[in-house]
Amino acid sequence: MIPALRLLVRHNDRALAAWALLLALLLLFLSIHPRGASGGVLAAWANQGVALAFVAVGQTIVVLTRGIDLSAGAILALCNCAASALVRGDPAEVALGIAAVCLIGAACGALNGLIVVRGRIQPIVATLATGAILSGVALLVRPTPGGSVDDRLADALTGTVGGVVPVSLLLLAVLVAAIWGPVRASLTGRTILAVGSAEPAAYMSGLPVDRAKVAAYALAGLFAAFGGLFLGFQTLSGDPSVGASYTLNSVAAVVLGGTALAGGAGSVAGSIAGALVLRTVGSLIFFTGLDPMAQPLFEGAVLLVAVALGAGRLLRIRNRLEVFR
Amino acid sequence: MTTKNRVRRCILWTAAAVALSAALPAAASDTHMPECYTPAAGSERVIRVEPRRGPYRIAVANGHTGIPWRMQMIRSVKAWAAKPENAADIAELKIVSTGADVAAQIAAIDNFIQAGYDAVAFIAVNPKAFDAVIRRARTAGTVLVSFDNPVDNPDVVRITPEWMEFEGAIKTRAVLDQMPRKAGTVLEVRGIPGNSTDRDRHAGFRQVIDEHPEIRVVEVVGNWDTGTVQKVVSDALAVHGRFDAVVCQHGCRGVTNALLAAGHPKVPVGGDAENGFVRALAENGIPGISVSTSPGQGPVAVRAAIALLKGESLPALVNLPTPHVRTADMKPGVNYFPDMPDTYETVSGYAACGPDMVFTPDELMRQSADGN
Repeated sequence: MIPALRLLVRHNDRALAAWALLLALLLLFLSIHPRGASGGVLAAWANQGVALAFVAVGQTIVVLTRGIDLSAGAILALCNCAASALVRGDPAEVALGIAAVCLIGAACGALNGLIVVRGRIQPIVATLATGAILSGVALLVRPTPGGSVDDRLADALTGTVGGVVPVSLLLLAVLVAAIWGPVRASLTGRTILAVGSAEPAAYMSGLPVDRAKVAAYALAGLFAAFGGLFLGFQTLSGDPSVGASYTLNSVAAVVLGGTALAGGAGSVAGSIAGALVLRTVGSLIFFTGLDPMAQPLFEGAVLLVAVALGAGRLLRIRNRLEVFR
Repeated sequence: MTTKNRVRRCILWTAAAVALSAALPAAASDTHMPECYTPAAGSERVIRVEPRRGPYRIAVANGHTGIPWRMQMIRSVKAWAAKPENAADIAELKIVSTGADVAAQIAAIDNFIQAGYDAVAFIAVNPKAFDAVIRRARTAGTVLVSFDNPVDNPDVVRITPEWMEFEGAIKTRAVLDQMPRKAGTVLEVRGIPGNSTDRDRHAGFRQVIDEHPEIRVVEVVGNWDTGTVQKVVSDALAVHGRFDAVVCQHGCRGVTNALLAAGHPKVPVGGDAENGFVRALAENGIPGISVSTSPGQGPVAVRAAIALLKGESLPALVNLPTPHVRTADMKPGVNYFPDMPDTYETVSGYAACGPDMVFTPDELMRQSADGN
């Protein structure tokens, strides 16, 4: 039992470090918050981070294949604008609207995947281009901020369960477990990791490399759509310019969460912690009264320190070849 | 009817009465300091909340950071709050800047609501995204005041200049007045595309300029940024040779820089109230006008919040008076300050809103621009 636990910790050390950092920051935040730990404070804290966490989950899946999705923010913005036009009316219309927005996100992601796989274009270039296109589409859908989103559902999803647990966190956990869980356990999921760690080997072993890659980008699009939807529930409106900061912040969250940008190793759970850490740092800054101009500097420093600690393993290595294992 | 039902009905009626009193349609003349908090044309809604005893805990939630105007706004809020007669009403003043991310600004306001602040004044990063948090604030009894970039929500007091009049009847009209011949080509330097303020200001400009069909208009986009404005104006000069007048929204030191660098003849220029621009007009004798949206909006909004908490009523949509000065009337130490940086906003506050709303440069510079 104990060796199994040790193995589990060793395999997930970086994600666990991200969660430990998050826990420490959250406790610090709650201790300096004038209200202290209450349902409302926790809900505001969680709501602020959940959209980014969704995008970061999608980004992680792409990064695991040694790719990157620079269109994540644009998909989020497009889905946010689509949500502000579709997610309203009677419950059936709302449900249909949500399904349509998810479909739009997944389709945008699948398009990225097809361009990368069939077009054989580097992911960084392909998604940069589709990102620009999708931002343009978002502007066409909604040239200026506006629209509306069903507010009863929005209130329910941004509130708390029993006045304690933020619904947004439960939603995040359930959706990630229900979607990424089964995929991760399937052949496609294992191929996603295999492609990231050694693509030629995965191909030679007969794994469905192309299918895995397209699936990874489609999932990234789907999770970006969740982010855009959630932002819609938070703001009750759509804004075409909302995505700008989400793309690079999601990459930062992935790195904070311990996923290797070189692909093949990492975890979605770590990225969730990474995303929430980034947002908690922002909240901490204003209750400590630090100069807001220093916020990017502070965030950058946290990112650097966290990544440096994660890379500490390299210092203990005796044989350089071990790095490539 | 059972007693239980009667009690229930009684509670319902009381609840309805309380709900009504929150947005009581009082006559416009009843509102607080109407010479400052002037209702916008066509806006009759009045906001009043249940009064409570001070001193109050007040927060300011700013959006975008790193803009000189916003930094001066923060300084002027602190300078106003530091005056002894105002300090008595304020138990705590907290100012935060959350950047361009709307989720972060909503979370900041939620945090203030949770922390039990009495009022939050904020510059929204997006006019549409705050309906849910406005509802949460009302449930919790937190007073919200939206200023500068107001939200589209009639349930909070919104304080803003009247942009059509600002750019049209005041600025463009003055530029036309100072043109020796009402003909030729006028350069319009616009703001950030897609922004509602840019849209309204452009409409105000067109309204006045379209009275003169013989005038040709060339539009460039300067993004309200001095560097960008200078570049696009230089480009326009290179293409068109000369203009008979320039109307610029913001970042207008870029216009005078470009004109002077090109050795352009002195034509009327309408622009903002940053020290660099006003100085350039006054010191080079360039005819024109400086029209100001003052960072003094910050303290005006905070004072509105305190007035509401004391039980005063205010119009739901307030249009501030627009301070302006023509080149001929510009005086050093009053309209421009040779010792201050170019980015200093020369109109420190709204004089029409009372003596406590006017600040000297020294008073402002004593305050820091951060959240403490």
